[in-house]
Amino acid sequence: MKSNFFGQTILWLFALIVIVPLGWTLLNAFKVNADLLTPVPKLFFSPTLENMAYVLGRDSVFAALINSLIVCLSAVAIGLALGLPGAYAIARHPNRITKEIQFFVLSLRFLPPVAVAIPLMVIWLNLGIYDTRIGMIIAYSLITISITMWLGIPSFVSVPREVEEAARIDGYGPYAVFFWVALPVAGKSLLGALAFSFILVWNEFLLALMLTTADAKTLPIIASEMSQMGMNVPWGVLNAAVVLLSLPPLMLLGLLSGFLNRAFAQKTR
Amino acid sequence: MRIRNTLPYTFLVPTVLLLIVLAFTPLIYAVMVSFTDRTLFEPTSSWVGFENYSKLLGDRRFVSSAWVSLKWEVVTVSATMLLAVGLGVLMFETASRRQRAFFSLVFLVPVLLPRVCAAFVWKFAFHPLYGIITFPYRAITGRPLDVLSDPNSALLAVAFVDVWQWGFFFAVIVLKLLESLPPQPIEAARLDNAKPWEIHFYITLPMLKAPLVSLALVKAIESLRSFDLIYVMTRGGPGIATETLDMYAFSQGFIESGNIAYASAIAVIMLIATIVIFTVIWKRVNR
Amino acid sequence: MTVVKSRLVATTAVFAFALTGATVAFAADKVCTEDLRILSQPWDGLTTTEKFADEFKELSGVGFQIDYLNENDRRAKSRADASTIGRYNVYYIDEANLAQFAAADWIVPITDYYPAEYDFEDFDPGRRTTATFDGKVWFAPITGGGDLMVYRTDLLEAADVKPPETLEELMVAVEKLHDPDNGVYGISLRGGRGSGANVWRWMPYFKGMGGEWFVDGKPAFNNEAGIKATETYLKLFEYSPPGTQTGSWDESTGAFNSGQVALIIESAPLGAMTLDPDVSSVSDKVAFGIPPKPLTGGGYAHGFAVGVKANKTEEAKKCAALWIGWATSKENEERRFEVGQPGELNRTSIFKSKAFAEKFGTELPAALEATAAVTAVNFWQNPKWPELGDRWGIILEELITGQRDDIPAALQELEDFANTLTAG
Repeated sequence: MKSNFFGQTILWLFALIVIVPLGWTLLNAFKVNADLLTPVPKLFFSPTLENMAYVLGRDSVFAALINSLIVCLSAVAIGLALGLPGAYAIARHPNRITKEIQFFVLSLRFLPPVAVAIPLMVIWLNLGIYDTRIGMIIAYSLITISITMWLGIPSFVSVPREVEEAARIDGYGPYAVFFWVALPVAGKSLLGALAFSFILVWNEFLLALMLTTADAKTLPIIASEMSQMGMNVPWGVLNAAVVLLSLPPLMLLGLLSGFLNRAFAQKTR
Repeated sequence: MRIRNTLPYTFLVPTVLLLIVLAFTPLIYAVMVSFTDRTLFEPTSSWVGFENYSKLLGDRRFVSSAWVSLKWEVVTVSATMLLAVGLGVLMFETASRRQRAFFSLVFLVPVLLPRVCAAFVWKFAFHPLYGIITFPYRAITGRPLDVLSDPNSALLAVAFVDVWQWGFFFAVIVLKLLESLPPQPIEAARLDNAKPWEIHFYITLPMLKAPLVSLALVKAIESLRSFDLIYVMTRGGPGIATETLDMYAFSQGFIESGNIAYASAIAVIMLIATIVIFTVIWKRVNR
Repeated sequence: MTVVKSRLVATTAVFAFALTGATVAFAADKVCTEDLRILSQPWDGLTTTEKFADEFKELSGVGFQIDYLNENDRRAKSRADASTIGRYNVYYIDEANLAQFAAADWIVPITDYYPAEYDFEDFDPGRRTTATFDGKVWFAPITGGGDLMVYRTDLLEAADVKPPETLEELMVAVEKLHDPDNGVYGISLRGGRGSGANVWRWMPYFKGMGGEWFVDGKPAFNNEAGIKATETYLKLFEYSPPGTQTGSWDESTGAFNSGQVALIIESAPLGAMTLDPDVSSVSDKVAFGIPPKPLTGGGYAHGFAVGVKANKTEEAKKCAALWIGWATSKENEERRFEVGQPGELNRTSIFKSKAFAEKFGTELPAALEATAAVTAVNFWQNPKWPELGDRWGIILEELITGQRDDIPAALQELEDFANTLTAG
């Protein structure tokens, strides 16, 4: 089929637009500057591990990695502890008030990040938690709670009411139903929601840029600092930093793709 | 309900209260600071009324950045939706089941990348002398191509990266939406010898109008987060050609003058504009 | 040139030997209690110094971490940090933000704390002067100098152009040398915004044409000198390679070192870089001169200063100063010299050493000495200079990239800004 062949070619071209720059970055991470800064791109070269070693060996990168992990995981945990119960309550009690709450949670995403970051910086300075992990965790909790709630609502709606009813007849109270029935049944798609909120804060840049200066810097800040070094840019090192920073979100690729499949499979019914 | 169920209260009240505190404290604070002359360097400040706002009206960089922000929204939202629908339909029409699974996975990658990384990947790909994207142009013409320092193309180049991240992601969603449609109307149209584009233009896309509008709205909201890309790729340059409102607020607050009050005034204007616009649209769409 | 290179290896060996003998064992009682945090710009010379972190640990009892940022970001960040919570023990200060930091008491005079055994007086007098504000010396230099003209002997010869000595000759030469179809650009400039970037390279024209920033406290740049300097700079930009319009030092010198540019006027460290075959593909065909008349070389110096907020106690200040002393010590400068990082040398004892003359021949040292005569303070020495300079940087970038073309209106806009700046 002619049109099919044509369509397939275009599809592959688009796939290349995704793959080529990323593959190129990956290759560059193993090049020395002389192989990188060539007018004609070099596909074959003798790879070096020096860039990776440099990035991994720097104290600032290690400290930022620890910061990123502690801040993001704590914020996601807070999002889970507060967001999921909230989402469940909204899913199970649809009325005017919960509808307004649902909209309020979503509208938090409308807020321009600068409008939050600038005042937060001044407030954190006054409170003495500027450039601390605590300050970052609190700021990120705003993101994780609202996203977990927003994505959690449809997951709980899709839990069949009959299952819960059956549990209630067995003598489960409303809280027990939530913990022992609703959570496990919605589990898989909730996991996707959590992965999504983790990625959002892992990749977050503006708040981290404005709320930290040294002690609590996260990985995106370090990567951006490296990319802006200016004088004799160590391009290879930079590519290596980009690759390392991108790995954790990519490891969640499978989880998210499953989340999407489930989310849209429900619509078919 | 037989017994009064306390669950909705215990589950919602603390969370909502916390969100209200976390969201409104900074917002109220921003409004307050915008009426003062607070700078980064001196903790003391005095009330100046609407001075910051009246200064903004006469500030050509503010006017320009508001215009750039508007262009950014229009360009990124429309280009993302075009790419998403086009590519989604293309996958639906030409790809086998296994191919769809493969492409869906590949097209999900860009949106997962940290914005800082995506910005860097493309900044280097666009490099006038060593970039892989500018290489064909250099090879053919023998001249370098510098898209990021040309005021006519810089904003488009940055917008391209944004569309690269979101357009492919949305294409996957459009594919899943198409797959969720009942097959009968499509089959019937096929039997009537309708061309594929006719089927989608007249049948499937109208059926998907509601979710597509929601997608566009989500993209419009996410497009407000242009800062990371612009910060890494152009810093608002060349000149002020890619300076959006958030970039300008950041410049005023940190890079250039430490004028927190003025930056807050910009932020407050952004805040009011986005909240009003999006609330109206969202409520209208979801009515 | 190859002769020079082989000789170089031999001399460095001798030099290193002499060094070990001269090393002074300091009986420093370990003043430090906490690891030091240092904010800096990236320099190869510092990377070399970082490799000897163990030596500092032995000396002080603590380690240190250097955060590297590019020039514009380093300025913004250090100011934001110093004015708020002050996490950094050591700040990287330059001629342009010295007034601001010193006037705000964010740093202390370095000479009060610099360990005597490291011999502050050995630093180049020009750099010590640049580090002076309000009668006190505030930082220990890591780099500095004036401007050099570096040109390609092969290209000038081929085009039968003599090294320009005046601005008129420069304009003619640049036009003649410009041959983009063969990948050669006449000159390389900085177009990217910043008081230390495009404005820095524009100022020699402005000052050379008799311009002044302020006269009797009133802005004075919106006049003939300002207009003509800008016109000249924009005219020259027609011959500058792509990427420099929004680029800075890196793009501009990179273009020269990769062989695309015939002539460049840049800060002095470039001179030695162009001779280093590792970074320069034109190392065997460059020569040096001083900036054509009437251009004034931009005198500058960057260095390290002791922060006030992060170093609350006298001991902490001494510890920070100990690091500065160690990092800028003669020993560390010699290490940089040995691995060929001459941009980060500041000590007279090194400049005057035999090894230095042997490594760089006579031409570069002679040019470095000659350029001192035309080196001047081009910027406005005031705590508010960064703000004014950065604003002009953005307007100038707009002019360079063609977003606006009315030069008098542009200068008028800057004047209005300067008036609000000095009023507040």
